[in-house]
Amino acid sequence: MDRDDTAEGRESEGRESERRGAEGERIHIRGVAATVSLAVLSLASVLGVTALLVGRGPAETVFAAVCAVFPPALIALGATRRGSCDRAVVVTAVALFAVLAAAFLLLFHYRGAGGEAPTVGAVPVPVAILLGGVWLLPLAFVGLVYALTFERHGISGEDLERLRRLAAGRGAAPGGEDRDVDQRPGEAGG
Amino acid sequence: MPILDRPVAVWTALAYLLVVVAIGVWSARRTRGPKDFFIAGQGVGLLVTGLATTSAAFSGFVFLGGAGLTYRLGVASFFICASTGFTAGMLCWVVAKRLRLLAEVREIYTVPDAILARYGCRRASALSALAVLVGTVGYLGAQLLALGVLVESIFGVGEMVARWGWPEAAGLPLAMAAGAAVILFYSVAGGMVAGVYTDVFQGALMLGAALAVFVYALEAGGGLGGIFGSLASSDAFGADFLDPLSGVPALTGLGFFFVFSIGTLGQPHMLHKFYMLKDPRKLKWLPLVIAVSQSVCLLIWVGVGLVVPALVARGEMAALANPDQAAPEFLLAHVPAALAGVVFAGVLAAIMSTADSFANVGAAALVRDLPRAFGRPVGDELTWGRWAVVGLTVVAGVFAWAYGDLIALLGTFAFGTFAAALAPALAIGLNWRRVTKHAAIASIATGLVLNLGLEFLARQTFFPTLPKPPLPPGVLPTALSLVVSFAVLFLVTWLGPAPPEEGFESDVEAVMEA
Repeated sequence: MDRDDTAEGRESEGRESERRGAEGERIHIRGVAATVSLAVLSLASVLGVTALLVGRGPAETVFAAVCAVFPPALIALGATRRGSCDRAVVVTAVALFAVLAAAFLLLFHYRGAGGEAPTVGAVPVPVAILLGGVWLLPLAFVGLVYALTFERHGISGEDLERLRRLAAGRGAAPGGEDRDVDQRPGEAGG
Repeated sequence: MPILDRPVAVWTALAYLLVVVAIGVWSARRTRGPKDFFIAGQGVGLLVTGLATTSAAFSGFVFLGGAGLTYRLGVASFFICASTGFTAGMLCWVVAKRLRLLAEVREIYTVPDAILARYGCRRASALSALAVLVGTVGYLGAQLLALGVLVESIFGVGEMVARWGWPEAAGLPLAMAAGAAVILFYSVAGGMVAGVYTDVFQGALMLGAALAVFVYALEAGGGLGGIFGSLASSDAFGADFLDPLSGVPALTGLGFFFVFSIGTLGQPHMLHKFYMLKDPRKLKWLPLVIAVSQSVCLLIWVGVGLVVPALVARGEMAALANPDQAAPEFLLAHVPAALAGVVFAGVLAAIMSTADSFANVGAAALVRDLPRAFGRPVGDELTWGRWAVVGLTVVAGVFAWAYGDLIALLGTFAFGTFAAALAPALAIGLNWRRVTKHAAIASIATGLVLNLGLEFLARQTFFPTLPKPPLPPGVLPTALSLVVSFAVLFLVTWLGPAPPEEGFESDVEAVMEA
């Protein structure tokens, strides 16, 4: 009996430790994802403005990088929940960045090749990259990952219940128009 | 061949209009208050929301203008569609969840409502409502003008009035008025209930038409091999036609991509659809529904956009004097009459679904957002909302008729105006608690003023002495406005004082934490 209890206890401790480990990993990924996303988006905005105002030399490459980094960084930021981001979403964002960055690099590589550009099944490679790489490839996984990870980053039944209780408690308050909202001390958020 | 000479096209278009009117009658009985009028009573299912979002997002431009743009610019024009694979997912991750949850805890019907709740600031809400109103008049006017041109072509209104002894030029305003009357009928009577259900019908029509035309385009072009083979060896279109970064300056192509991917986050006619979803948890499958339906719709752009130049290159079609004729010429020459009729009905559908969404969104800005932002909410929003839909449609229609060039100009940069003014404040502000109302105001004002100013200077022909904007070649004013708006938001947020610790009210706090 004792041995069983001990074995069960060890198993339970193991599960708990595993859970803590996984949680730790999630927490680590979470904090990093949100911070990195905001840093990347801030930097990309400034670089994007600079590239579009300069418009010559490396400006095209810099703006291509901005175009490749903006959507995945926004996705990682948007999927952040209570300061955390699901690992699958982080992987998706990184994969989207990789797809877009590789596609733009290849488009620059084949730029000016004209009729000399190789073909993939009768389609010139630059066109295949734009239609197949930039359009269809993300279509195959972005929406699917969103659906599959929805329970973790989206809206859970508990969230909804909590919000509905809050709304009921406030008496279905309207959108804030009945308060002198500009005078509230905490109006800007935390 | 004039469309009027194809009776099937005329009858199909008539049948389409009858269905739309019938939906209007059905919806009128289900519209009892402002919640029904502005957000369809928040009682709409997944497929309806998905299809309504798609059909509202795609105007007649996708069906007619897209192929013309490809004829003119080559495959570089596909940068506009290329982000469709991930845009819907990004939209749902970044803004849809929190917008929908805000509507769960408060009476939130519009984007300026959400900005008011998030930032607790009437000035930010008023500025966003102003951006919505400016963009709406342009977009709505452009749709009404396009609708008039199409109705006139299908029903031969100009010839008809000429037979009555009126000048043929009266055909366009009459056609615009007739098209606007149908939109007004269902938009005023049924509000957004009519809007979403006509959108579903219109979206289904657009999907079927796009898919069928794509198949016919492949067949007419001899498959992908035939199309690309003809284009690659064509002197008329040149090697750059098939090179996405050579057909136009690289910064133009990439600018298209940036604006039409990131800018989607600020389009009120799409964002409003999220409020209508009955069960917020149905957001789970929305990106797939939107991305797939949008991709199918865009097949008509890709298919016709590639096959027409291929046929011209082979000498099987005369070169086009006006690239915008690419789609109509192909449809009339290479597609069975019945399908051409469905496609023209699909184009009507695309134009009308966008127009009704904007009429509703603009009306909400006028009778709800702006009065509330100035502390004078309107008593009966339903009645005033109906009048506002009529007023906005009439004003936009009259302006479109009287100042067609100006309205076309406004219409073309309305997407950019929404993007630059609204996307940063929503996309970042709904996901980062540190963003202050000052940052939001600065970003919205910068995006609105910069985009209007740059686009006006770039495109206007009214004042010859005004200079062009000092931008490097190929840079899209909208792309610059959008990225500057993001930069301003970040700079003001990072450099400004941190917001107070107490943060949001409890319900908004819960939404931000969800």
